[in-house]
Amino acid sequence: MSGRHETTSAGEARQDERRAERQITALFLLSSASAIALAIVYMRGGQPQLEGLFLGIALGGVACGLVIWGNRLLPQGPFVDDRHELASPAAEVEAAEEGLKQEGAVTRRKLVGRSLGLAVGGLGLAALFPIRSLGPSPGQALARTPWRSGLRLITEDGRPVRADDVPREGLVTVFPEGHPGSADGQAVLIRLTPGLLVAKPGREDWTPQDIVAYSKICTHAGCPVGLYEATSHLLLCPCHQSTFDVLRHAKPEIGPAAAPLPQLPLRIDPEGFLVAQGDFSEPVGPSFWHRQ
Amino acid sequence: MLALLVTAVIFDPAPAAVAGQPSTTVSPDVRNVYLADCGVCHGSDGRGTGRGPPLVGVGRASLDYELSSGRMPLAGVGRADDRPGTPLQPLPNKAASDPEMVPRRHAPAYPPELISQLVDHVWTLTGGGGPDIPHIGEGNLAEGGALFRLQCAACHSWAGDGGALVRIESPALHSATEVQIAEAIRVGPGQMPAFGTAALTDEQLAGVVAYVRYLDRPDDRGGEPLWHLGPFAEGALALVAVAGLLLFVRWIGERG
Repeated sequence: MSGRHETTSAGEARQDERRAERQITALFLLSSASAIALAIVYMRGGQPQLEGLFLGIALGGVACGLVIWGNRLLPQGPFVDDRHELASPAAEVEAAEEGLKQEGAVTRRKLVGRSLGLAVGGLGLAALFPIRSLGPSPGQALARTPWRSGLRLITEDGRPVRADDVPREGLVTVFPEGHPGSADGQAVLIRLTPGLLVAKPGREDWTPQDIVAYSKICTHAGCPVGLYEATSHLLLCPCHQSTFDVLRHAKPEIGPAAAPLPQLPLRIDPEGFLVAQGDFSEPVGPSFWHRQ
Repeated sequence: MLALLVTAVIFDPAPAAVAGQPSTTVSPDVRNVYLADCGVCHGSDGRGTGRGPPLVGVGRASLDYELSSGRMPLAGVGRADDRPGTPLQPLPNKAASDPEMVPRRHAPAYPPELISQLVDHVWTLTGGGGPDIPHIGEGNLAEGGALFRLQCAACHSWAGDGGALVRIESPALHSATEVQIAEAIRVGPGQMPAFGTAALTDEQLAGVVAYVRYLDRPDDRGGEPLWHLGPFAEGALALVAVAGLLLFVRWIGERG
């Protein structure tokens, strides 16, 4: 298992160490180059696969270098140390000092040590760049979505949704007009069987023809709430099974979500298309620090 | 295993009723079958009873789906025990309706021609209306895949193998015929919501159907699919890999 070779002469041992040093230095240099490449990719807008690759090479280079260092350059045990006088004999001290002055353990490791410093320093530098990404403050962006009064409801491929095309207990994933595929604007639209809906006070005119729309983003962890049980009228989140009661303003029934799904006020325009009356009733998505 | 094979053999030529010509004459046979097997719960006029919902306006797609997938007739006309995929076993004394009884896929109770006649008969009896049996045209497989992941995968899982809901499970899709898939999308049987033309155009519907068929034999580009068991199996394998990594780390730290 030992990476150490049995050598017959001191010369061979020295050559072996030199080779190991070269390998270690090369690995550390590769690591620092990779860390710099990571910083550059991040600064230029980022690309997840490339960033992962460079971070992997940077960390892996340091790790492989340290493993080779440990296995090939550090003295290998086991060591038996007999009890002896605490102070070394004068001749031994002298010999040791002499040894240090010559090309020896300390000076020989200088290059390797410096390249390790370079590798770790490069990684540290690359880690500084994401600090800039903490700003600027999101402001009101978390509280608003693209929904405005008068915007039509469209499907992901941009077709406006006509109320008559939604069958009873039918489900459509809708987006605000002009923002197909909008992440925070997506909503789930359901035409309920008439007479079942229990409107929250103040929301009586939000549901023309018993058609309701709620934000599709779970208030727990932001997954798309896509499971609808048509006979029990429950909307489920596939991630952690938060369950919302569609008949009662999507209030949470079971599971980790604490807040109801925000509701989208609807009306039907003279041409029969579904139109929003305004933005969602609350900010969408998982609860955050100053969500009202 | 043998039972499975037998089931598969019985199951394979699942009938797909042709969207067809309105039957002008109702043969006495069909009327008798309706009164004997369906009318018990849905009423002799199809307007429902205390035991079963009305069939008015459900449409031919719904009727064909329930009959051709063996979900109807339910236990009332005789099923010894509810074993999905098996043929009906006559047992007239079974309770007509049981709240726990969920319609499940079985071998169809009637031959395809009789199903087609029954569909026409009930549809005419209840005054028509509702979605017709869909015609499946050419669909775009890639678009169908995107729509499947957006609208179907939450319940039926990314591989179409079904999954858990609140009290029941959503079924796997591999044994449904193309017509049944399209009918279920448009009609929304049981707990499933309906997807009308607002949610999916007819071309998109064909794409989704093509993708569900593709899921029977997917082209696993990610490498070893682990029998499509999903994230649980993949997690278990990851644990084994982590154990291997631990052995490797031990080797690194070993000396001497």
